[in-house]
Amino acid sequence: MGYQFITAGSVPHALELLKEHGQAARIVCGGTDLMVRLHLKRLPECVFISIRELEELRYIREEDGWICIGAGTTLGTLENSLLLMDKAPALFQAAQVFADPNVRHSATLGGNIGNASPSADSAPSLLAFDAQVVIAREGGQRTLPIREFFTGVGRTALNPGELVTQVRFRPNPNSAFVKVGLRSAMAISVVNIAASVDLAQDGVMRDVRIAVGAVAPTPVRAGRAEDCLRGKRPEEAVIRQAMDALQADIKPITDIRASEGYRRIVAENMMRRVVRKACGICEHEEGSDQ
Amino acid sequence: MSEKVAVSFKINGKEVTLLALPEQSLLRLLRENGYVEVKCGCEEGDCGTCTVLLDGLSVKSCVTPACACQGHEVWTVTGLSLQDHIGQLLRNNFAKYGASQCGFCTPGMMVTGVNYLMNGGTADRHAIRAAISGNLCRCTGYKKIIDAIFYTAEELQKEAAG
Repeated sequence: MGYQFITAGSVPHALELLKEHGQAARIVCGGTDLMVRLHLKRLPECVFISIRELEELRYIREEDGWICIGAGTTLGTLENSLLLMDKAPALFQAAQVFADPNVRHSATLGGNIGNASPSADSAPSLLAFDAQVVIAREGGQRTLPIREFFTGVGRTALNPGELVTQVRFRPNPNSAFVKVGLRSAMAISVVNIAASVDLAQDGVMRDVRIAVGAVAPTPVRAGRAEDCLRGKRPEEAVIRQAMDALQADIKPITDIRASEGYRRIVAENMMRRVVRKACGICEHEEGSDQ
Repeated sequence: MSEKVAVSFKINGKEVTLLALPEQSLLRLLRENGYVEVKCGCEEGDCGTCTVLLDGLSVKSCVTPACACQGHEVWTVTGLSLQDHIGQLLRNNFAKYGASQCGFCTPGMMVTGVNYLMNGGTADRHAIRAAISGNLCRCTGYKKIIDAIFYTAEELQKEAAG
């Protein structure tokens, strides 16, 4: 049998190919994750269906208050988007510290979420924005909240024959992202975290959404920490409480990059930083926070 | 066993058709066909020595599927340093400032440097450092590499000013 590589000419064509090849089909776009798995011999024989030529999946646009991003849009495009810089800084900042500049020229947003790594750098921002994933399938499409999209390590709610075509969300300028990795580039996050804050004129956080990566089998929302912050001002005592509460939201493991204990300490400190950053409170800025 | 398929693309300005395995990386395809200036380091996208230009953007050829290059345009360090004006300037400055120690990272550093300069990168050491952040030099000769890119950017700025 061996591997096969087929280039799709359109979204409907990709869906036909997915149907034709069933379980053997595997979508590829940038290839930056799949090629590594091939090299490590961790990818069984399959039929690659390339959506890399589909210009129709490469866009960032604003529609009725939503920001809509095509699944084939590269992280390099995201990191240069003035629209994201102004309206969705959490995702903009995540794109800037994603892998390295050369990988960002290939890697796509759809691929990053489709690969469903617990440490995917685009995921916390999308979770904090309560993003929706638009999924094409035979005869139409469906939309899924990103919270329901990730189901486990490397697992998503996608059914056979389905293709992620778009991610969309209501942007929030009071949002931020921070990451801790072991190197300033090409680092898989030890912990990454995003916050999106609905900030009232008087400085009260009417609503707060926080999402953390690499601390559970999927990127997770920090519901208990959010409860501590909602309706309050981002003062130190309040944030301290949320930091303690965060420990019950996360379930990190010890692996090659960091121990559970280290991840717990890093996660709560990063939460303080990301909430303050989202609220526009100036503090020592280290860019990618290495 | 997978069957090889024909992949046609432009490399260093020349049209070629090469036979690639469906699962093969662009890196492996190029090296098999004599483009050994593209170095094979980690093969996991970490080290950057296999960097080439694909449609005018620097990418890591070890994580680029060979078959995805059908109809596209690839430049390696050899093509750029012989045929491209920016590539030539940068090559000269790599030599002038001693930006090569063992030389293994040089092909990737040069292509990433050309990408930086082609896309309007200026003589700004901080920005240059960020641009080459995905290219490792295990001799740790970063300062001279950054110098070479920095002074090439200055030369280009002078040229532009006339």
